[in-house]
Amino acid sequence: MKWYMSAGLITLLCLGLICSSSGLNSQAQAAPAEEQVTVLNPLGTPPPITLKPMAPRLDTLDGKTIYIVDDGYIGGDNLLNEIVDWFAANYPNTKALYKRKGGGGFESEDPQLWAEIEKEGDAVIIGMGH
Amino acid sequence: MKIPAIPLVLSEFYEQEKEKALHEGMPGLRTQWVLGPVWAKTREQLRNDIINGVNPISGRPVMQEIVEKLTKPLTAEEKRTGEILRDKGPATFTDTEENLHKMFLEKRYTDFLPIVLPTEERVADMLKGTSMDPDMVVGKMSPTNTGNYFEYWTFTVRDVAVNAVMAGCKPEYLPLLLAVSSTGKEAISVSDNGFVGALVINGNIRNEIGLNYDVAAVGPYAHANTTIGRAWSLIAINLGNCGKVGTTYMGTIGNPMNLINIVIAENEEKSPFEPFSVRRGFKKGENIVTLFEGWGILSAANWAANRWGSEMDYPQIMKDIAAQQGFLFGTCFVLSPPIADFVKARFDTIAELEQWLAPTPNFGGGFAKMKPKPAAEGDTPAAKKPMPKAKMGGFGGSNIPIIVTGGSNNNYWSAGGLRPGQSVKIDEWR
Repeated sequence: MKWYMSAGLITLLCLGLICSSSGLNSQAQAAPAEEQVTVLNPLGTPPPITLKPMAPRLDTLDGKTIYIVDDGYIGGDNLLNEIVDWFAANYPNTKALYKRKGGGGFESEDPQLWAEIEKEGDAVIIGMGH
Repeated sequence: MKIPAIPLVLSEFYEQEKEKALHEGMPGLRTQWVLGPVWAKTREQLRNDIINGVNPISGRPVMQEIVEKLTKPLTAEEKRTGEILRDKGPATFTDTEENLHKMFLEKRYTDFLPIVLPTEERVADMLKGTSMDPDMVVGKMSPTNTGNYFEYWTFTVRDVAVNAVMAGCKPEYLPLLLAVSSTGKEAISVSDNGFVGALVINGNIRNEIGLNYDVAAVGPYAHANTTIGRAWSLIAINLGNCGKVGTTYMGTIGNPMNLINIVIAENEEKSPFEPFSVRRGFKKGENIVTLFEGWGILSAANWAANRWGSEMDYPQIMKDIAAQQGFLFGTCFVLSPPIADFVKARFDTIAELEQWLAPTPNFGGGFAKMKPKPAAEGDTPAAKKPMPKAKMGGFGGSNIPIIVTGGSNNNYWSAGGLRPGQSVKIDEWR
């Protein structure tokens, strides 16, 4: 009796597996190709870029004046004065001048200082971009 | 100045500044990268780490590189002039939904959560929310509008609608989003501070579009509040090129509020005071959105000043909290109606309260003074139609904005640093 029940159960399970397997096959065969969708580009429009050449470099630092400009970021004065000291020790014929930019804020202009640098300076190092 | 110049920048900003130099037209700018931080170090530490140290990008000695950058002749590439024209790319993309979702994620068009794909049909439906020409230029946006650090991208009514669809907005929300976008104020600032944007909405539109201003008002607990806040961030990401870590987002810690921002519809019905917009000079009932920026808000219960007891002196607690806030963003109080009632018992008007809280001069920050950028050269004729003007409101000499919203189920309220900027008429964008 037990044998008959087990055999019946196995038969049912097999039938179930065959049915579900053929069901999967028929579903796969019936699946349509995935639909193509058109969507809009979500981006804004960036502006054109106008390329600007950099200023010509110096042939030597000897006899030149380099402005070391502090834009006011906290702690920048310490580093920039270290740079001044480094030039004094390593390039004694180069004048490195520390200047604190006015105008308030990192990005504000300081026309007076810019005019001075243009007149007196040969190069400029500006920081800090924190 | 036509003399050699070398910016000193922390190497952590390498990607950002390379992109910035390109946008400024000097892709080969001879920047000197140094090890950060500089702030808080002694001179000896700076000497060891930077002057006698190496460029973290190249591995070469810093001072040797500086000398070379000042003296080494320019290459042909560095002398190049001309113009690089750019556009947004193809107007549309066609693929399976699965691939499009994957592409939007990979191209960083999303906030990393699933979006609603902006099909032509959905965008057309969204555009029914306004009478504006879809090609009209709404404004320009950059990762920070407090200066000219970054380039501004231009966007149209259609571009805003596309991002509104992606956020899951309804067409009736579009005029509010257009009003917000027209200011050019980015929801996601590049700043390493990790700022957050906030909107305060007044007028009948609150009920019209289903903004929640009762229990759970300041949170993702209503469709309008949630999707409008999310859309503002997607607009910033896609129309202002914001939120790209390493280039246009540098929040040291980050800010989870950037996902949906702080959207506050004022509870005008239960507030004992005049609405915020009325205090800025608009008529009661007029649909106005005011944009804020700052650190964000959190429960006022967090402050030591919030002395718990059977009887509470809320105005005094507010005064003590305000005294602990920094100058940059002042103190923004978001009061629930019961707290506002306690305050009303002592002060007839917000102006009187503000005067008592902080009889200090206004901060007058740059953000509050920003105006929308004008339409660009080359915009379509429709784009040159005059834009509705964003109106600046005065702020009565105070840097303590006070908003009333939320439920009456308990005496909780919030405070933090948020500074109000422009107030815009929403109905001009219908």
